[in-house]
Amino acid sequence: MSSTPMSDATASAAEPDKAATAASAGRLTARELTLAYEDRTVVDALDLDVPDGRVTVIVGPNACGKSTTLRALGRLLKPRGGAVLLDGTELSKIPTRKIAQSIGLLPQTPVAPEAITVSDLVARGRQPHQHWWQQWSEEDERAVTDAMERTDITALGDRSVDELSGGQRQRVWIAMALAQETDLLLLDEPTTYLDIAHQVEVLDLVRRLTAAAADGTRGRTVVTVLHDLNQAARYADHLVAMKAGRIVAEGRPRDIVTAELVREVFGLEAVIVPCPVTGSPLVVPGAPWQAGPAS
Amino acid sequence: MSAGTQVRVRPTGYQVVRIGARGRFLLHRRSALVATSLVVLLAAVCVAYLCVGESFVAPGEVVKVVLGQPSPDELVVGTLRLPRMTVGLLVGAAFGIAGALIQTVARNPLASPDIIGISQGASALTVGAMTFGITSYTVLPYLSVLGGVAAAALVYVFAWRGGLHATRFVLIGIGFAIALRSVTTLFLTKGDYLVAQQAKIWMTGSLNGRGWAEAVPIGWTLLILLPAVLWAARAQRTVSMDDDTATALGVRLGRVRLGLVALGVVLASVATGTAGPVDFVALLAPQIARRMTRTAQIPLLCSALLGAVIVVFADLLARRLFSPTELPVGVLTAAVGAPYLIWLIIRGQGGGRGRSGGTA
Repeated sequence: MSSTPMSDATASAAEPDKAATAASAGRLTARELTLAYEDRTVVDALDLDVPDGRVTVIVGPNACGKSTTLRALGRLLKPRGGAVLLDGTELSKIPTRKIAQSIGLLPQTPVAPEAITVSDLVARGRQPHQHWWQQWSEEDERAVTDAMERTDITALGDRSVDELSGGQRQRVWIAMALAQETDLLLLDEPTTYLDIAHQVEVLDLVRRLTAAAADGTRGRTVVTVLHDLNQAARYADHLVAMKAGRIVAEGRPRDIVTAELVREVFGLEAVIVPCPVTGSPLVVPGAPWQAGPAS
Repeated sequence: MSAGTQVRVRPTGYQVVRIGARGRFLLHRRSALVATSLVVLLAAVCVAYLCVGESFVAPGEVVKVVLGQPSPDELVVGTLRLPRMTVGLLVGAAFGIAGALIQTVARNPLASPDIIGISQGASALTVGAMTFGITSYTVLPYLSVLGGVAAAALVYVFAWRGGLHATRFVLIGIGFAIALRSVTTLFLTKGDYLVAQQAKIWMTGSLNGRGWAEAVPIGWTLLILLPAVLWAARAQRTVSMDDDTATALGVRLGRVRLGLVALGVVLASVATGTAGPVDFVALLAPQIARRMTRTAQIPLLCSALLGAVIVVFADLLARRLFSPTELPVGVLTAAVGAPYLIWLIIRGQGGGRGRSGGTA
């Protein structure tokens, strides 16, 4: 709403003809966000507009500050400078419970209480909507049922989370975050520890979340950190490439993923070809050990 | 399958209980069953406690006395055994809840008031006061509450580093416990022989000579803190997750933890002030209770009931096992609870395998 000239400028600096996405600046924005652990500054004066109803993927080399940024977007980390704004209000000025009604977050390695059942864990996603005297409502039941159905874990309801496989467990955690029924969902490397089939399954699910529902309600906004650049390019509407605590480029993957960008961000020589399935850019690293590489 | 689903998911094992127009409570069915059984068990142990002693009193007479009807055994049961049993009951319940809360916040089954320095703080101050000539039984309990709370506050402050770190909390607690124990030993060796003897009995935890005068303050404490305990029972659910997930769910983690620990510390300190540091009750009761209910968090009510059962039963044994010599109840609490806990762990049901990490 407050798409100030400044925010437009930062977005179009990366990609001139992509102003359309950036102009629909959404509920969640970061302004001159500076993040630090102890004395070490990890993210420096970062501006970010998260487009509503889209999948935003943050990529970058290890220790570039992408997870740190995501944590700050989810108020898990207090900014050293600048602010994260939800609907124009600083997160630090909104009660954490109120935030939890708008922003759901799945950390990198969540820990479940010992011996908890799947349905119990998913139901705990309803926490921000419940009261001491109202621990379970029709609404809760609908949300939990719906979340478990979407993640295809309805059949696991009575099982103990401890005894599930990695892929199942990740789906349970996502179901918990979904049951929270927030407009915004932040996922910190949701595909870590999963094999390729489960990775694709989780990301397909994430994509479907942003699709508008049959009854016309707008899809959810997802911000996720991914390690795999190809997956990021395949699933992102809005790709954010970070390096050393700054955004190097952002925009539609097909507009910004170039050999130069990969070299600049990851220091990797690569060839970019269109993906035969989706047409999204596919990053194929060069092979310096071979005599005659493609590049 | 399709859009209009028939199957509605509820948390497994829970029952939705409606109270009034808006009240909707989640009741864990197995916990309710366990709690009911524990109440029955506790009643049986209490009757046995009142029957057995120097002279045996028939259960019928015991019930009469408890209900306030005239009985020839009024003196033995009503004046001697009943008040002492009541103290044991309340102390056990307080330790049970305190242990459950502290273990929850520390996310560690070993964290209990007698491990992380609360009991040692109470002991150090009480024994110190004794050696300096303060032996009045009207002052000592308050000193011991003060000692426990002070020790816990110090541990909390030292464990704080931009947030409470569970492992730090336990380790610093253990460090304080060791340091405070040496302080107590110093007082004991420096102090008068008779005083040391008296202090040692107090330090083991004893219900000998306790009566209504001790039951009333701890009874009031429990009653006044009841709303806080009800809050804690709900708050516990969220604290048992990792910090990030709990925060993402809108929990003000810092405050909730502080609230839970403070409640646990006050209860443990008051119980210690009443009967001395009765060992292992706070450690055992929550762990046994959780294994019985198989809940994802430590059940408060069942911990309280089990704490009461353990203390009353242990005191019954302490009174009778080597009669006419009476043992301090603290000697036997571990003996009563530990074998059962070990059996539960060996049988290996309802958790206890240790956390297998978030993923992997």
